[in-house]
Amino acid sequence: MAHTQSSTLEESRERSPTGRRSFWGALAQNGTYNAATGVLFKTQRRQFLLLASFPLIWVFVAHLGPIIQMFWISFLDSYPPRVGYEPQFTLDNWATFFGQSIFVTPFIRTLVYAFTFTFATLLITYPVAYFLAKHVKRQNQLIFLLLLLIPFWVGEIVRTYAIMILLGNTGALNRLLMMLGMIERPIPFMYTSFSLGVGIVYLTSLYMLLPLYSALEKIPRSYLEAGADLGAGAWTRFRRITLPLSKEGIASGCTLVFLISTGYYATPVLLGGPSTTVFAETIAGFFHVAGDQWPTGAAFSSIMLIAALSITGIFLKLMGRSGKGLMK
Amino acid sequence: MTKSTRIFMSVIYWAFVVYLFVPLVLMVVMGFKDSAFIGFPIQSWTLDWYKGVFQDTEVINVFIYSMTIAITSTLLSLVIGTWVASFLGPYKFPGKVIIFAITCLPAVIPGIISAISLRIYARFLDIEPGMLAIILGHTVHNVPFVALVVMARLATLPKSHIEAARDLGADSLIAFFRVTLPYLRPALIGAGIFCMLLSFDDFVRAFFLGSYQPTLPVLIFAKLRSGMSPEINAISTVVLVMTAILGIWAERSMRRMNKGA
Amino acid sequence: MDQQGRKAIVHIENVSKSFGQTKAIDNLDMKIMAGEFVTFLGPSGCGKSTTLRILGGFESPDQGRVILDGVDVTKQPPNKRDVNMVFQDYALFPHMTVGENIAFGLELKGQQRGEIDRRVASLLDFLQLSGFRDRTPDQLSGGQRQRVALARALAPDPKLLLLDEPLGALDAKLRGQVQVELKDIQRRTGKTFFFVTHDQEEALTMSDRIVVMNAGRVEQDGTPEDLYYRPASRFVAEFIGETNLLEGTVRGSDQGAVIIDWKGHSVYGSANGGQPQTGSSVAASIRPENVICLPQRPANDRALKGRIVNRVFKGSKTTVDVQVDERDPLIIKAHVDPAVAHQFADDTVWVTWDTNRLAVLAG
Repeated sequence: MAHTQSSTLEESRERSPTGRRSFWGALAQNGTYNAATGVLFKTQRRQFLLLASFPLIWVFVAHLGPIIQMFWISFLDSYPPRVGYEPQFTLDNWATFFGQSIFVTPFIRTLVYAFTFTFATLLITYPVAYFLAKHVKRQNQLIFLLLLLIPFWVGEIVRTYAIMILLGNTGALNRLLMMLGMIERPIPFMYTSFSLGVGIVYLTSLYMLLPLYSALEKIPRSYLEAGADLGAGAWTRFRRITLPLSKEGIASGCTLVFLISTGYYATPVLLGGPSTTVFAETIAGFFHVAGDQWPTGAAFSSIMLIAALSITGIFLKLMGRSGKGLMK
Repeated sequence: MTKSTRIFMSVIYWAFVVYLFVPLVLMVVMGFKDSAFIGFPIQSWTLDWYKGVFQDTEVINVFIYSMTIAITSTLLSLVIGTWVASFLGPYKFPGKVIIFAITCLPAVIPGIISAISLRIYARFLDIEPGMLAIILGHTVHNVPFVALVVMARLATLPKSHIEAARDLGADSLIAFFRVTLPYLRPALIGAGIFCMLLSFDDFVRAFFLGSYQPTLPVLIFAKLRSGMSPEINAISTVVLVMTAILGIWAERSMRRMNKGA
Repeated sequence: MDQQGRKAIVHIENVSKSFGQTKAIDNLDMKIMAGEFVTFLGPSGCGKSTTLRILGGFESPDQGRVILDGVDVTKQPPNKRDVNMVFQDYALFPHMTVGENIAFGLELKGQQRGEIDRRVASLLDFLQLSGFRDRTPDQLSGGQRQRVALARALAPDPKLLLLDEPLGALDAKLRGQVQVELKDIQRRTGKTFFFVTHDQEEALTMSDRIVVMNAGRVEQDGTPEDLYYRPASRFVAEFIGETNLLEGTVRGSDQGAVIIDWKGHSVYGSANGGQPQTGSSVAASIRPENVICLPQRPANDRALKGRIVNRVFKGSKTTVDVQVDERDPLIIKAHVDPAVAHQFADDTVWVTWDTNRLAVLAG
């Protein structure tokens, strides 16, 4: 029995071949390919360098390059390059910002808005995330979450427009309030910091909700039960157990929302008014209205980038974590 | 947890759902209004605005233009992101944290600054504003997302699978295509759809990197600046339906992957 | 060629390998014969897995060479070696069917489709997996997965098959059955198996030859019987099976037997490597099942009197702890037939053993 088995194995190997080789089989046996890979993959080190070369070039050229170039031209007196003129080094573009309140005011306003909107988003989404993570049955969580994600996929412009319809003078909100007899004439919600706030919170809330949810979901129910067992009331349990353990989620959520909300351009243009001009609009002005003000725009962008990244950096430091796990 | 807080919480949740959906529902409804004036009340209804959208060659061309950009930049992002992840994920080397930070950089830079810096960079590289510039801009913005998703998936691939492939006669390259890539499939589908959405929905980069030919969000923006009209609602609704379907699909494939499919 | 006329298929030539400060393998030199079932046995970190990975081509040695069937393969990558491996977690490709998994190695050898199909079919048949060809790995039981992994590794007809603790993932009951199967498959295919495990029972059951490793060095290299009854070192005696370890000094010899002074008691044993020096301190090992318990003093004077201080009924046997000395408690563990265990009702026993069964160990 044993002998028969192994001899069938031998036979099947020696029977004359029919059919074709697979692509990968042909490749693995191809002389030219093997000669090439023999050289390219000769050592582990060489393989690693081969694998590493493109990503390294990419991240330096495509990810870091634009930022460095932006900083660079912010020190030039003229850009884009003109024929017959050699750009000179200058600090004027940076100085422009600090000299004029029409620039500083939108800058400060942007930061104040970003802080306010981030905090508002946190307040609004925390109970939602808590409800999802701790009150909804595990098998239903996906559906409840998906329900919130659907509007999230719709882009910035479409959702901004939706808010315009909601808040307009003849919009749904005013109409509703008038029908309820709470107001006589429409409240001008639009083109104020209120409409801008509603819009930004609307756009960013999911960036806050998801990190909060995943942080809260990880807290075992038994911790809260242990807390209750030791005599902690609902508020104490929240303050001493839930809140510290969801710190991670709060930190990433706030960071994301802060960075994203400072970067909106179309939303402030559409929802805001002259009294709510943000820095993004100021920056954009140098690239659209006035022709040759790119270096100033670059300097302003650099100022905003430095400010945004330092604020989030300090914030993350205060929250006691490095920015490494930010995107997770 | 007392019953009253439980009820309070669920009220907040549903209020939030209403907050998210009502503006979109209003927008959809307004697209059926038989009047050029956006606002309530709605007296009579029509399908004309939708018919108009599907007959408007400008809108259709813009749609095709946006789709082309989304698909191309997605494919590029997937290839580059996977390559970056295959290098950053499994290997340890000095300076890895810095490379990782640079990899994530485009995803955390505020939108306007990202757009401006890419505009300047395109000029520096002599890339004319237009399709190529937008595609490259979107690719730069999307690569971090692909890299992160693929890295997360790669971390769950047992090292022995690659070794088994090597053992059975595959060199590193063949092992990647025959074992690693199929394993990454759900991650790539999820990340790919996510990139499509990011690209298709993007306004600020397309606005600064584009030429006179607008993408769909830029077109809607331009129309909005000259006044609200149910036509915009109809266009937006088409975009909304498409993105929602794509989004749900992406979410499903990502969740399934996380459950260890 | 060895005594049985087999040729060496693998020669591990003075191989050393370190990871940082730790020496994983310290100058290992060893031949593996064609058709042999060799087991590398040892605790984790002893160097057995590193040896296996060096043979597979996944690690390269710091020093020394690996000769496979007369060819130096030290620098060859895994894909160029005629060596295949069964991984600890089986590493079956989840996106391929059983048939595709087994065909993988054949495909990359550039074989034709028809040929691959036949080979896969005969392997499936050989390993009783015929109905499973189109299933994916997640639809299989642990035992079936293990057989698929084996089929996949056997498919390219390697000169040497490496098995990295392939039974660790199975439950205890199945493991015993698979041990028998694996040995059977090895016999029927005539392949050289290089098996790595930390489980001494597994090693004893299947191997033609066991290499016990500790801290990168070979402690003993021999048949399962050699290791069990004639352990070469204290480490081997303790690692394999249950044993009584008696520490004492050599007092002299008597008709080929070594007399050891064990804390004032004279015990008789035999030394493998010749008579140890009188006065030197040694350890001696005696298996509990070789300890004979008697209710009365036997005729010879090589028995120790003691008292049963603990007895545990284990079904096929009763284990007893015999305390030999009242003042300085010395315990000898013994196995007793449960049917006669009642003879020791008053708890006084005489323990003795066949002199050949007490192995005197160096150091």
